[in-house]
Amino acid sequence: MRFLLISICLLMLSCGSYPKKQNFKLDQSASKNIENPYFSDASKDYVYKATIDVYDKHFGGLLIIKKIGDNNHRVVFTTEMGNKLFDFTFLKDDFKVNFILDEFNKKILINILKKDFKVLITENLNVLKSFSDTEKAIFETNIYNKRHYYFFNESQLTQVIRTKNGKENVRFLYSKINKHLANQIEIKHRNINLEIKLKSITQ
Amino acid sequence: MRNLVYFFLLLTASIQSQTTMSPSEAQALKTLVKAQALTTKTIYSNFTQYKHLDFLSNDIVTKGKLAFKTPNLVKWEYTDPYKYTVIFKNETIFINDEGKKNQVDMGSNKLFKELNGLIINSIKGDMFDDEAFDITYFKLDKTKQVHFIPKDKKSSKYISAFEITFNEKGDVLEVKMIEPSGDFTKIVFSNKEINKPLADAIFTN
Repeated sequence: MRFLLISICLLMLSCGSYPKKQNFKLDQSASKNIENPYFSDASKDYVYKATIDVYDKHFGGLLIIKKIGDNNHRVVFTTEMGNKLFDFTFLKDDFKVNFILDEFNKKILINILKKDFKVLITENLNVLKSFSDTEKAIFETNIYNKRHYYFFNESQLTQVIRTKNGKENVRFLYSKINKHLANQIEIKHRNINLEIKLKSITQ
Repeated sequence: MRNLVYFFLLLTASIQSQTTMSPSEAQALKTLVKAQALTTKTIYSNFTQYKHLDFLSNDIVTKGKLAFKTPNLVKWEYTDPYKYTVIFKNETIFINDEGKKNQVDMGSNKLFKELNGLIINSIKGDMFDDEAFDITYFKLDKTKQVHFIPKDKKSSKYISAFEITFNEKGDVLEVKMIEPSGDFTKIVFSNKEINKPLADAIFTN
């Protein structure tokens, strides 16, 4: 019985929320909405040189993102030589595969890419809770029913962390930020060996 | 009304600038290109690649150098706006992605093999294979253009047509690969040097 109690206590501790584990302080005064500006300019063609490392495989290519309208983005990946590997449309909560090379047409892969790109392109987010840490403002949001924590440093979005069971699952790092363009973006997965690196060549 | 007249004038002008060749003219071009391809031992050229996606405001422009040596050595070296080299050599593709080296064995991949064959043939312009393509020949103002439509269903899933533009000498000026969606990749060659000696060392990463 005592063992059961101890293990339940331990379980509760280990299942504690992500902010609690990180010692974030709850901040009631913060805003209720936040904005991710990095793919929000419909007049811009966002073009990134991309490298994808998945387990021992290394792929390269160009990731092209275009805002077509409100809550509407096209996300296309081509090789450096121009061959299209996949072409997705995000429209509000809908997601459509316009094209995908047979070799990449795997449900599990499409799902991972869909979830990651959704974070990149989602502009306006409702804040569930807000926190503060030394110099950082942190906002808890939901994307596809998963908790995402948005970190702002001096009102600039620098990272997003997706959690699973109160633990970091995927980290999105924005750096070399110039106005509303993140020249470098890294997406690191914890549960699978996957890393996506993006370097802007936006012309 | 006047607009309508202009419209029809423009329409007829654009039709006139691209007319179909007669069978004898088509045969003459084919003979010229094939003869040119046979005597071509090496090609060294600058290229500009335009990736056109309908939803973008502008084409994505990349630039670099192409080297080719018979029978099957090809190197595409992108220098702007990023450094990326891909070498097709025997059964292997060697990639140098800003210093990160990688290689892919084509031996087992039929699609890659076919692609490589197409690349080599399109650089030389010699794709006149009636079994693989439906071929149509056009005359433009100063140039000639041939459209190759793949008959094979598997490749037509990726490329609906190749359009190759030749100058009067039968040299390839431009290769355009059109996807079924209408998006395309266009490669324009400039400062092309034919049969300049190229060392094998050029084709190593």
